[in-house]
Amino acid sequence: MSDAAILAENLVKTFKGDVRALEGVSLSVESGTVLGLLGPNGAGKTTTVNVLTTLLRPDSGRARVAGVDVLADPAEARRRIGLAGQYAAVDEKLTGRENLMLVARLNHLSGAESRSRATALLEQFGLTDAGGRTATTYSGGMRRRLDLAAALVARPPVLFLDEPTTGLDPRSRIDLWAVIEDLVREGVTVLLTTQYLEEADRLADRISLVDHGRVIADGTAAELKARHGGAVVEVRLEDSADAGSVAGLLTDVGEGPPTVDGDLVRVPASAGTRVLAEVVRRLDDHQVAARGMALREPSLDDVFLSLTGRPPEADPDDTDPKETGR
Amino acid sequence: MSDTAARQPMSSALVWAVRDTLAMAGRNLRRLSRQPEQVVFNVVSPIMFTLLFRYVFGGAIGGLQGLNYVNYLVPGIAVQTVLFSAGVTGFALADDMQKGFVDRLRSLPMSRSAVFGGRVVADTVNNAFGLLVLVATGYAVGFRPASLAGLVAALLLLLLFALAVSLGYALIGLVVRSPEAVNAATFPIIFPLTFASSAFVPVATMPGWLQGFATHQPVSVVINAARSLILGDTATADQRALLLSGADTLSLVLQSLAWSAGIGLLFGLLCTRTYRNLGR
Repeated sequence: MSDAAILAENLVKTFKGDVRALEGVSLSVESGTVLGLLGPNGAGKTTTVNVLTTLLRPDSGRARVAGVDVLADPAEARRRIGLAGQYAAVDEKLTGRENLMLVARLNHLSGAESRSRATALLEQFGLTDAGGRTATTYSGGMRRRLDLAAALVARPPVLFLDEPTTGLDPRSRIDLWAVIEDLVREGVTVLLTTQYLEEADRLADRISLVDHGRVIADGTAAELKARHGGAVVEVRLEDSADAGSVAGLLTDVGEGPPTVDGDLVRVPASAGTRVLAEVVRRLDDHQVAARGMALREPSLDDVFLSLTGRPPEADPDDTDPKETGR
Repeated sequence: MSDTAARQPMSSALVWAVRDTLAMAGRNLRRLSRQPEQVVFNVVSPIMFTLLFRYVFGGAIGGLQGLNYVNYLVPGIAVQTVLFSAGVTGFALADDMQKGFVDRLRSLPMSRSAVFGGRVVADTVNNAFGLLVLVATGYAVGFRPASLAGLVAALLLLLLFALAVSLGYALIGLVVRSPEAVNAATFPIIFPLTFASSAFVPVATMPGWLQGFATHQPVSVVINAARSLILGDTATADQRALLLSGADTLSLVLQSLAWSAGIGLLFGLLCTRTYRNLGR
């Protein structure tokens, strides 16, 4: 881990009113890899990114980015990072090209360099045709791409993406994923925050799970699944009203108590088919009818659930209105 | 001094600060030109106020010691114009804060001061444009300055005052972070300063308890200085005593410069401090 492009040690940040945003976040990202910072809203993801990008000073802790001490020399750190935020901080009254030109000039590129960089980035992000239009006319996905392009103007070796796809439709999200994957192939180190397990699973080499201002687990997706989320047996009931009593019935079957989510009862099942067989037997003995049943490999969802006792923020694209809550 | 300046030779830091300021000013002016409502307000409001006071209220305003009212009026409307449009500085900065654009700027290796420098330069250009519209309108309805040099000096004095006040708006914009809130926070201050002044009517016609404030508050001082420069030697002793607080041009100009410098320095420092503390 000597080749860390991003290193955070014990970052603590308390906001006014004693809100403890970070309670000792430590993380490390090897050069040329992608770290996914995964957690629900308010977990401390954005605060961590703000500290690492010099926008926020921590109360204590150390942070290095691309070999530069962020707290001792923020000006030098800013030369080596790109930041694309969840709000797509583009100037909507400027055209796509003007936005990129402005950021290029403020990165102290020469006029000629700024122009060629703007042209190249518009091309790379599929915005050449839209480059002459003001960003007011852009779709959400186009704005995010422009924002990302702006973050790349000065060819930073380290890139911070704060919830790059939050609020995007699935199509635009997939497009943006492809763009990010291209960047990673070019050798950029990326720290990505997300509430989407799918996103972390797809883009990140390693994942740090964040909750209440702490990293509660980290590793590759496979390691996390193996460590924290054993297989589960999922029982889907005819009637969600029975879920409670069925969970009671299955209490001692797996290595932990079952969890209930609507008409779904999940039983921890590291013992695999033995648990499945026992679940079937008990339901049969008590003449409970289930609509479906499966032995499932763990997902990052399960990891999150097992570590925090609650599911991560639901995907806004899901249709369940009570869980989206945004 | 910015963080950037600490690492670079002083001269190159200064060059970059100027270039960054110009880049930001260009961006701000471009934005302004694409907000027709802003431009219309900037152009139409001095015209409307000039015509309103010249033709509607002007006939009822007394105590002018024989001075042609339009010559009295134009410097007053000039201050009102720059005070109101200085608000753009605060609104625009609050808007940039709200939309996360300031965070983008703060993540760039640009000069910190250019965020304000760019605003102030752009808003001064915007103000100068408003003043030119006003002078042209005034001229069409009878405004005649004593000399071109006096007029230009008066306009520069007004622009400097506007610059100082716009830093006050900038501070409020940084703190409240919403354009509407900037308006709500500044209107109750700017409105009385503008109207309880020598801008539209001679202070002598106001009730006694108001006269002291209306004569010596900074807006009146600046108006009187501009008016004195514009009237030049044509002002009679009576006019100078009753309309220009009895002071001569030099004294008024120095007072006005002192106010501008004081307000500008105070708010400039507070802005810089607030901006730096955004990360705390």
